[in-house]
Amino acid sequence: MTHKISRRNVLAGGAALLSMSALAPAFAQEARLRVLWWGSQARADRTNKVNQLFQEQNSGVAVNGEFLGWGDYWPRLATQVAGRNAPDIIQMDYRYIVEYARRGALAPLDDYLGSVLQVEDFDQVQIKGGSVEGKLYGISLGANSAAMMVNAAAFEEAGVELPTPATTWEEMARIGAEITKAGKRKGFYGLSDGSAVEPLLENWLRQRGKALFTADGKIAYDADDATEWFAMWQKMREEKACVPPDIQALDQYNVETSPLSLGKAAASFAHSNQFVAYQGINKDKLALRSHPLIEKDAKGGHYRKPSMFFSVSAQTKDPELGAKYVNFFVKDPKAAEILGVERGVPESAAVREKLASTLDELGRAMLDYVSGLGALAGDLPPPPPSGAGEAEFALRNVAEQVGFGQLDAKQGGEALVNEVSQILARG
Amino acid sequence: MAAVQDTAVAVGTGASSRPAAQGRLARIWARHGAGYMFLLPWLIGFFGLTLGPAIASLYLSFTNFDLIRAPEWIGTANYARIATADPKFAAAVKVTFLYVVLSVPFKLAFALLVAILLDRGVRGLTVYRAIFYLPSLLGGSVAIAVLWRQLFAGDGLINSLLAQFGIEGPSWISHPDYSIWTLVVLSVWQFGSPMIIFLAGLRQIPTDMYEAASLDGASRFRQFYKITLPLLTPVIFFNAVVQTIDAFKAFTPAFIISGGTGGPINSTLFYTLYLYQEAFGNFRMGYASALAWILVLIIGLFTAFSFLTSRYWVHYDD
Repeated sequence: MTHKISRRNVLAGGAALLSMSALAPAFAQEARLRVLWWGSQARADRTNKVNQLFQEQNSGVAVNGEFLGWGDYWPRLATQVAGRNAPDIIQMDYRYIVEYARRGALAPLDDYLGSVLQVEDFDQVQIKGGSVEGKLYGISLGANSAAMMVNAAAFEEAGVELPTPATTWEEMARIGAEITKAGKRKGFYGLSDGSAVEPLLENWLRQRGKALFTADGKIAYDADDATEWFAMWQKMREEKACVPPDIQALDQYNVETSPLSLGKAAASFAHSNQFVAYQGINKDKLALRSHPLIEKDAKGGHYRKPSMFFSVSAQTKDPELGAKYVNFFVKDPKAAEILGVERGVPESAAVREKLASTLDELGRAMLDYVSGLGALAGDLPPPPPSGAGEAEFALRNVAEQVGFGQLDAKQGGEALVNEVSQILARG
Repeated sequence: MAAVQDTAVAVGTGASSRPAAQGRLARIWARHGAGYMFLLPWLIGFFGLTLGPAIASLYLSFTNFDLIRAPEWIGTANYARIATADPKFAAAVKVTFLYVVLSVPFKLAFALLVAILLDRGVRGLTVYRAIFYLPSLLGGSVAIAVLWRQLFAGDGLINSLLAQFGIEGPSWISHPDYSIWTLVVLSVWQFGSPMIIFLAGLRQIPTDMYEAASLDGASRFRQFYKITLPLLTPVIFFNAVVQTIDAFKAFTPAFIISGGTGGPINSTLFYTLYLYQEAFGNFRMGYASALAWILVLIIGLFTAFSFLTSRYWVHYDD
């Protein structure tokens, strides 16, 4: 009895398999590329369209795309790489490229430069940004820069002018306090508390001629710098220029939970390529602004940062095909039109030129912001060392201790430098 | 149980002569084969997904393993660092102990209270049982933790309710003095499974004891104190041990409510959350494995302690 049924099942199953392979040509392809990225649904829609286009132009190649949120992305990627099951194309962040490249998880792309990879019209600084120890491991998908997201409507209500590239921190603190004092909205403050925002601290340090990390992976600021930083924010908290610590602690440092998006503050600190996402969930009209200056005529602390890379896995069967895909992604005019500036401003001058006329208002604002930084933008710092992720956690922890009054600014400054030094020494 | 012992003896003695052993094996197979076949999914799961990884993690705990390069043997360095040079480990242990000490007694007391109320011949008992059990089914889920985050946020439902009475509530989830309580309340709310077990325990207590006691004029409270509680101690003990182990392993609520950071200021840095951060955030799988084994040790010690002290307060019928 069971025997008969099982034989019939096997036959049926075989037939089903046959018909499936006929229906889904992907199984019959000669080559398969798996692409993994983090990001929103909007990014996924654009990326999948480009993948489709690549498939159409390269018969015999199937592209399988997969995406996750930032938080889930890194554990997944790490386990896949460890399990010898890495995707062929990996979206890589500036923060992690050193970690992955040093551990041999990424394929060097130097051999394909000039042939499969045609990135001659890229900003050379950005090409360098994808290099680790002299080898190229990532092709930048776009440039962005740290920025302020400003609720223009709230500024107008409070009767204050929008900040300009010449606005100083002192003025910003005064503006913030004025917005809070105007009290046009319930529980509303001028600024979010940026004391734990690493890119903001970095910008401030760079204006002082310092940096977060040295090229050889050590801490590049001292306890006095950190103390002054915490003291500045402490003062803003006291003057109610920024949100109180228990509101700031709700911020998980993503678009949805920032005080700006929660309707608690008129300005937050983020990266320029997130502008589309910020505007998407904020009803009020937003504006994109550069970070305040430490004093009038200070040199700016900005830089054009590769927003993210595409890297090719060291485990891929066909690294050349991978390089070809990456090249298509950053150079093909049709692909560029689909992708827009959602991953940042494209690196290729030709693509940028072509794109400029097709962008909507938001895309335009981002393009103008990143390409209009001018003297505010300096050199790209070296990629963050191993342990940089942990150092960012430490900044957040210490900033919260200062915010909640468990440490004063001086103790906070010393604690931060101490902890970060130890983390970097461990690597 | 007896059958299993039989087969063990049979295998042990039969190994000396081969044909006999084969005959025995065939006989064992004939007698128990079907049973083992039915057990097979569990056996595969146990060896493949539980025991195997556990042994692997024990090995990894003596290595430096970043998930990508091959593990590198470093002896007991991971354990030495845990013992001497990791302030975050201390913070995580402190938070976790606080959570266990707060959440388990509150949860058990609440579960017992509800069980007693339900035991008093409520109409539609099964419906109530199902309703009260629901949070336990849902409680571990991400969705509930997200909901909890909404409820307890600064301008969430809880503070809106408090505002009705003129109380200005704090930001429960984002203030280091209150955040752990949010998680404790979430845990107490999931009282369903200990409640069901208490209910079963209460049903075991013979009603004639209560009848005899009330004839002797014992008050309700006295009956509870002198009859219910002592006779329920085995169940209380069981629930306490299970809930304590569960509380030590809690992860999801803290992960969601703090956005994976364990903040503000490490106030929700549960042990497992720290372990997760080390493994997947900082690529220190070896160190995280060592942390995991320390947790096994801590839970083991707690459980052993519970069993040792149980003889002084747990009463069995016999």
